[in-house]
Amino acid sequence: MENFIKDNEIVVFADCSLYTKDSIFKCLYWYGGKFHTNVSLTENMYRISLIPQKNVINISELELYLQKLERDLIDFNLRDIVTKETKNVRDLLIAKAFSNGELDESPPGEVSDPVGFNVETVNNDRDSS
Amino acid sequence: MIEIAPEKKTRKFQGIDFYNNSKNQSYFLLPFRFHRINSQKEIIVNEVGDYLILPDGTTEKIITRKINKELDSELYGDLIANFFISEENIPPLIDVYATRYRTKKAFLNDFTTLHLFVITLRCEHTCHYCQVSRVTQDKEKFDMPRRYIDKGIEHMLNSPSNHVTMEFQGGEALLAFDSIVYAVERTKKLAKEKGKEITYVICTNLAVVNREMLEYCKENNILISTSLDGPAYVHNENRKRPGKNSYELAIEGIQLVREVLGKDRVSALMTTTNLSLEYPVEIVDEYYNNGFRGIFLRPISPYGFALKNEKKNKYETEKFLNFYKIALNHIIEYNLKGEFYMEIFARILLRKILTPFPVRHVDLNSPAGIITNVIVFNYDGYVYASDESRMLAEMKDYQFQLGHLDSHTYEQIFYGDKVNKLLDVMTNESLPGCSECAFQTYCGADPIHNHSTQGDMWGYRPTSTFCQRNMEIIRYLIELMDSDKRIKKIFENWIN
Repeated sequence: MENFIKDNEIVVFADCSLYTKDSIFKCLYWYGGKFHTNVSLTENMYRISLIPQKNVINISELELYLQKLERDLIDFNLRDIVTKETKNVRDLLIAKAFSNGELDESPPGEVSDPVGFNVETVNNDRDSS
Repeated sequence: MIEIAPEKKTRKFQGIDFYNNSKNQSYFLLPFRFHRINSQKEIIVNEVGDYLILPDGTTEKIITRKINKELDSELYGDLIANFFISEENIPPLIDVYATRYRTKKAFLNDFTTLHLFVITLRCEHTCHYCQVSRVTQDKEKFDMPRRYIDKGIEHMLNSPSNHVTMEFQGGEALLAFDSIVYAVERTKKLAKEKGKEITYVICTNLAVVNREMLEYCKENNILISTSLDGPAYVHNENRKRPGKNSYELAIEGIQLVREVLGKDRVSALMTTTNLSLEYPVEIVDEYYNNGFRGIFLRPISPYGFALKNEKKNKYETEKFLNFYKIALNHIIEYNLKGEFYMEIFARILLRKILTPFPVRHVDLNSPAGIITNVIVFNYDGYVYASDESRMLAEMKDYQFQLGHLDSHTYEQIFYGDKVNKLLDVMTNESLPGCSECAFQTYCGADPIHNHSTQGDMWGYRPTSTFCQRNMEIIRYLIELMDSDKRIKKIFENWIN
């Protein structure tokens, strides 16, 4: 379905197999200051409607807003991919950051030193003193 | 039978093939956010504020796994090195990354450091945008009683920080100089017992300053923070007083402070009004000509009495941004001619953008700087979350009043129910609109601004002046650095 502007209403369609609901609502959040926004779902397509609020934008700019919305939908869908794919790593990162070291892991491998002293022994010696 | 020795593990550096973990030619995404800088460039920013500026369309390629390790080797290496992607589902250096994250938030370690004492509400100025001052001789009513000074000092010294700042504000603080002397003397004694270091600051318009006061400041290492709004025709129009000579008194005062205390012991702050917007170049020159090598281009606060004078103060954010850019460009011109001269709001942002260090600034922290960084003890004993909070209280809005020095303990004020309710709105990581903003790590949360301008503490980003202003200034700074390497050098010089 083609996106269009009719009677000062911007209408954009988004395939629900390609765009997540989260990304559409996060995108539309940014249009709420200037437009009345509406989203509906029919036949696996989101129908997104923007109607300008009175005296907020110039009607001649609607074509630009249509282009912006089309682009923003893609951007917010990409953002949603990053957010969801990286949620666990982000949680782990923040948990480690504020864990005071409880979640730190030793680096892989063993410490070897060509000079030949045993690091663990040195540490133990220090502890016992 | 020959025994095969187990493979020895070592932490020595291995050959390059050892580190090639992307055998399947794919990679894992790590958390990052992106924003369009202009029609040709976009920026990606990771969780600790490291950024890469990329040609338009590159972010889409990164996210859809179209970056090839061999064909895009330089970009691929940058993405790995800066924690945008990883060849393992958990990056091997995640502990290093976590340490960097903790470092960025290290401004929380010391908790509240800046303690504002509203030592008097009396003032001899009648600035049209001023929220709090009173032209009165009634010391009994509008000066801070000694018992509140004592209690405020007690709370200040209870701060976990070993180094706190005690800032005297007004009204005009110097009208209550005897109270300042009392407070400093008492603090000196108690701070010594508790092993705390104190930085003292007096905020003053310098209209009533004299040599005797400054000699005391010199003895006690007290800094002076004053106001200079620009040339006389701007300053005197903004800051009304009998005699219409606020500017002349401020300039004389600055000279006297420098003579007695030293050149670096006085700083000046400007307030931007509708009138100021017409004179960006003149204001920058005024600071330069008076020997300042830094200027803080502040928008007017939307609090208290400032809101009542809508015609004068409620200019559009776009006008302020235009003013800011002209002024900033003029400052950069000074630098390109070999002078050192910085814009302080830009410097705060640049430290967040270009360094791994934590930056303390009440309006640009997450968690917000209110309470965690600053607290206000008002002349009447009430305790507020910030200077702006007490200005709201002057308008009968007590949303951010945390308690009273007569009736509330340190724990009740700093960890009480009111503070707990604020916590949800104090982190921009969890605010709508901010949660996926590329500039999240450079910006902050300001629930008081949201409350006073939009009626709720969460705020609504699409119409938020705080959001519009900060996003555009951050974008502009990054665009400047990307477009001209000389400007990047200048900015790096500002943060050193």
